[in-house]
Amino acid sequence: MSVRVQPLQRGAWTRASAPSTIGMIGIGLGLVTLFLALPPVKVRTAPLPVAIGILAVAAGIWAFTRGEHRLGGGAVVSGVAGIGIALIVLQANAARLEGVFVWSALIAATLRYATPLTFAAIGGMFSERSGVVNIGLEGMMLMGAYFGAYGADVTGSWVGGLFIGLISGALLALVHAIFTITLRADQIVTGTAINFLALGVTGYLYNQHYGNNGTPENLPAVPDVNLKFLSHIPPQGLGNFLYNSIGQLNLMVWLSLLLLPVSYVALFKTPIGLRIRSVGEHPKAADTVGIPVYRTRYAAVTLSGALAALGGVFLSIGFVNSFTENMTAGRGFIALAALIFGGWRPFGAFAAALLFGFSSALAARLPDLSASDTAAWPLLFQTLPYVLTLIAVAGVIGRSIPPAAIGRPYVKQ
Amino acid sequence: MSGLSGEPPDMTGQTPEVSEPTPESKVPSVAARLALWQRSGGVITPILTALIAFLIGGLVVFATTGKNPLNTYKAIFKGTGLSWLSPVSIHWHLFYPAGIHWTGWDTTSPTALNLQQTLIVVTPLILTGLAVAFAFRCGLFNIGGNGQYTVGALVAVQFGVWFAGLPGPLHVIVAMVAATLAGAVWGGIAGFLKAATGAHEVITTIMLNWIALWVGSYLVGFNGPLQDPRAISAPVTRPIADSAHLHVFWGNPLLQGLHIGFFIAIAMLFVYWILLNRTTLGYEVRAVGFNAEAARYGGISVGRNFFLAMAISGAFAGLAGSIDILGWEFNLDLTVVQTVQVGFIGIAVALLGRNSAIGIFFSALLFGALLTGTSTRNLDPSVFQPELAGNLTRIIQGLVVLFVGADLLIIYLWQARKKLRLPQRKAAEQP
Amino acid sequence: MADERPVLELRGITKQFPGVLANDNVDFDLRRGEVHALLGENGAGKSTLMNILYGLYQPDEGQILVKGEPVRFHSPKDAINRGIGMVHQHFMLIPVMTVAENIVLANEPTRAGLLLDTNAADRRVRELSRSFNFAIDPEARVEEITVGQQQRVEILKALYRHADILILDEPTAVLTPQESNELFEILRTLTREGMSVIFITHKLNEVLEIADRITVVRRGKRIDTVDRQGATEEGLARMMVGREVLLRVEKPVSDPGDPVLTVDDLHVFDDRGLEAVRGVSIEVRGGEIVGIAGVDGNGQTELIDAITGLRKAASGRVAIGGRNVTGATPSRILDSGLGHIPEDRQRRGLVLEFSLAENVALHDYDKAPGSRWGWLFPRQLIRRARELLTQFDVRGGGPQTRASALSGGNQQKVVLAREIGREPSVLIAAQPTRGLDVGAIEFVHRRLVEARANGKGVLLVSLELDEIISLSDRTLVLYEGEIVAQHGPDVTEDQLGIEMTGAGSKEAAA
Repeated sequence: MSVRVQPLQRGAWTRASAPSTIGMIGIGLGLVTLFLALPPVKVRTAPLPVAIGILAVAAGIWAFTRGEHRLGGGAVVSGVAGIGIALIVLQANAARLEGVFVWSALIAATLRYATPLTFAAIGGMFSERSGVVNIGLEGMMLMGAYFGAYGADVTGSWVGGLFIGLISGALLALVHAIFTITLRADQIVTGTAINFLALGVTGYLYNQHYGNNGTPENLPAVPDVNLKFLSHIPPQGLGNFLYNSIGQLNLMVWLSLLLLPVSYVALFKTPIGLRIRSVGEHPKAADTVGIPVYRTRYAAVTLSGALAALGGVFLSIGFVNSFTENMTAGRGFIALAALIFGGWRPFGAFAAALLFGFSSALAARLPDLSASDTAAWPLLFQTLPYVLTLIAVAGVIGRSIPPAAIGRPYVKQ
Repeated sequence: MSGLSGEPPDMTGQTPEVSEPTPESKVPSVAARLALWQRSGGVITPILTALIAFLIGGLVVFATTGKNPLNTYKAIFKGTGLSWLSPVSIHWHLFYPAGIHWTGWDTTSPTALNLQQTLIVVTPLILTGLAVAFAFRCGLFNIGGNGQYTVGALVAVQFGVWFAGLPGPLHVIVAMVAATLAGAVWGGIAGFLKAATGAHEVITTIMLNWIALWVGSYLVGFNGPLQDPRAISAPVTRPIADSAHLHVFWGNPLLQGLHIGFFIAIAMLFVYWILLNRTTLGYEVRAVGFNAEAARYGGISVGRNFFLAMAISGAFAGLAGSIDILGWEFNLDLTVVQTVQVGFIGIAVALLGRNSAIGIFFSALLFGALLTGTSTRNLDPSVFQPELAGNLTRIIQGLVVLFVGADLLIIYLWQARKKLRLPQRKAAEQP
Repeated sequence: MADERPVLELRGITKQFPGVLANDNVDFDLRRGEVHALLGENGAGKSTLMNILYGLYQPDEGQILVKGEPVRFHSPKDAINRGIGMVHQHFMLIPVMTVAENIVLANEPTRAGLLLDTNAADRRVRELSRSFNFAIDPEARVEEITVGQQQRVEILKALYRHADILILDEPTAVLTPQESNELFEILRTLTREGMSVIFITHKLNEVLEIADRITVVRRGKRIDTVDRQGATEEGLARMMVGREVLLRVEKPVSDPGDPVLTVDDLHVFDDRGLEAVRGVSIEVRGGEIVGIAGVDGNGQTELIDAITGLRKAASGRVAIGGRNVTGATPSRILDSGLGHIPEDRQRRGLVLEFSLAENVALHDYDKAPGSRWGWLFPRQLIRRARELLTQFDVRGGGPQTRASALSGGNQQKVVLAREIGREPSVLIAAQPTRGLDVGAIEFVHRRLVEARANGKGVLLVSLELDEIISLSDRTLVLYEGEIVAQHGPDVTEDQLGIEMTGAGSKEAAA
């Protein structure tokens, strides 16, 4: 580990700065394309958005060929996406467009879709910051979803559901911890096993308890937080907008937002956080100053399971109010992508979760653009969050450095 | 996210961080013993792994339903038709056989039919197992078998519908090759992304699974471009032409007899072995899987091999999709697209089979039997609910994957103790 | 001077690893205020002994006494609580964290009982650093400071924990001779203040300079403990190795031929995008060994990577035997007559899970007779390997043995066999003897000299100055990515040491 510092030459900076500026402008232009086509602006002719989109792509290519791969790539993607969405939107009639792009509703939906991702991503952050890859987030989430519903049903209260769900996720995470930390099994293989197990266990129990009838319809749900006062904020338009976007969110949405600063402080501003990070960066260094590497990792992994399970609890008793088999539908993996995309930081992960949440919200609403109820193509919008995740992890837009010791079991002699 | 080695982590390689000179005289004997343990461990530990998984699965059955897990397993086994292979039927009285009856190989008995079903299910599992194993040997974890299978099935069904005039064998080959290529492309995307940007294949293949699922749902589903216009009320494609059907060599073709796809899968096991051990491509793939940095230093293009390994993996899975379509499904149903599991089971197949051709065959047999034995058709609901049994299969599958990693630890401890001839107190005591 | 009563005693320490007896009934004692050197070859068991003392390993047998009191250390924490601090050979520092964070880790000052008090940490570190005259910025990130400073951070870590016994494991391995002298100064200050120091090394000259007493270990056994007074390099060397050591490599006068490797104004960036090689030009002729001296991390890795095609050069030209290979793929460069003994044989040089035959074929698996049209012939690989393994005296296994089963020295022989066996016109040897015992070192040196005698050009990159000096016909000094000096065969270690810090005049000789 030998490092030598060398001041970056000023010339190099100015050389690098030009393509990066152009790249950022390109991304901006792509967003403008999008903005123009959508309400409230709603340009109804193709040439203008397409022209700006092409400009964005051109700027992206220019930046890309000059070494700004990330920003350039981002500009190309945003330009193409802008043109694509603009063209799709132009096919729809104006009234339907208004119906789909109700921004306040979209914001609310985005937050709702982002919530499970946020919980799981923050959970994953603790595990991965301590050096343990957690591919099993999906399974822990699914456990939370089932046991949240089951617990709510059995105890007759959403609080009971929440706690039982949380504990189920923590227990499954504990299995992950035992195998990856103590038994030093491959973390990714174990995580995959965790996902299978969760799928099997929840499917098994669900079929045994609820069978073909599904979970009961009167399942106690986590309540919404009604902020009526928002609607009184003048002017009336703003008040309504605020109320419709954030005035009727579920309690767990707010909980996930609260989790962000809390986890940030815990990880970066407390001795415990410092120790977790040290274990994930250089476990031997941590060991030599007396930090119990195994115990720290156990705690972090278990916590990650509990948090991921909260995401699942929200899905089943905060969002759709029922449980269905495999209802997490890859969200654990998307959360993982959000975590990587966000640089293993809470607010970064949240920003990525918002992005993916927005794409899910869109995917849910875009089918309404279609004039017929029977057209098959709106199904294709379902791929949107997955395609977006694919693009994101492909690192076109950003690339972040993982904790140094991630994925490697620590061998204590 | 690194730390994914070509094979499940090899604990035997982990000696403490000292490069003390090994007494020269001792080296051959220790090395020889190591190799011996590895060989014997190679057979014993997977069997142990499977046994433990079934044991825990049995506990789940008992704890949740109060039923005797042995009866459940017996009922499942009955549905697999594997007993057909033994031409005698034994009646047990407590622990000794009370009567042995010669049953012979009656090819029309229900048991024979069940065995045909089992082998039909084993066929794609061998291939999806290979799809995971080949990528594994290159240090990649392909959990995209489902998507690659789906894409293969979609292409196979469409090619089976088209070219109805072609002579049989040619039509089959065309459809299979097209499906294999489609699977290769789907897997290759993940390989390419890994090579070009370092995107982790676990996430990209999962995303590609979901994309394949929804694209497939769109194509096959109501009003989708591939939906059968004559069956407007069912989300299903047109049936493939008769010329595209695989030949059934055992059993009644009208009752889902065993088709020659089974032999194609067996042949692929050989192809897999030869590809890995007798070609320069296999050499490169293994070198990259074991130590990418050394491979690069040796002049091997790591990125190219990432791409090729994923493409070849995808090809195996795509082929699996086509064999199911051409062999017995003959059309593609929306529910099939949305509930495909063979890609995931392939992971357990490959891991339990330790990425070896023979191992993959036997573990595919195990999981194929489990799937058939727990299917609604073959499991007596009065003994055990098939819906539960299906999930029991998943649990067992998860447990197998879970314990495959841990069995290496058992070998490691065993070796350490044997090698030293001293009780390895500290290593054993300390977690 | 030193107080006679030992502050620390190790009695009969025995430690067994799978297949290796790392420590065999070793006794060791440390007096207050002394520097006690633990001298031995690589793999003699020094680090194991100290890891036991620091609670990282548990001894199988034996006893540890601190200030006369028997203790059992289950973890480093126990050792720290008894006032023992250790500076590991590979620093136990977290590069992405600040100096202060690294120092206070696990003993953090807090605010409100819960929050990390960064200000207090910075302040304490600054005070501590000032009281020992270390110029260390507590807020700098460890990856941004020099190796010498990182070592001081390690020492501060021990001092922060109130250590009065300090273990230094091969502390000079990464330092220039001048930085080493500064370290010795620091150690003298510390011992004056009552600190006791265990100094682990395999370098004889250092031992005689800094140690009060010297304990020599060989193959896990303690050979003897002697006072510095009266000890000689020759005597210590004999104890350390167990026989007379050839301190100089015998080689005939060089007779350079045509240039086999030409590097022209090469610029290379490192992983972080900083310019690590800045306009290096080198010419290696057939039949000569050109050494590159320098402190680790001055662009050696990037230079070699760029020559061998493993890393893209930003600009400049590389030619092998007159053929331009700039920007070519590694396999093309290897085929145009380059052999490369890589820096790290386990990470790069070998595929440990491969058989020796497969390892020997690493560059040529795709050529006849090993393969044809993509078809591999394992028997041909084995035949070829058998030849080379005999030729290079590889012991401990045949062509079908896994590389991981061999000892370090034999593994390096396999790498040598592959690289020299391909009859390259130029051979790049990057730290070819790192981590080897004396026998293997001699073997490697002999082979390099032999390659030179056969008319090959050798580019030797090493951190060991005595290796550079004893082998090289010409020596270049690499500092901050530039060649700052060039010498003939008769250069001194001191001269190189000064130039390695950038203090020498640029382009001294042409």
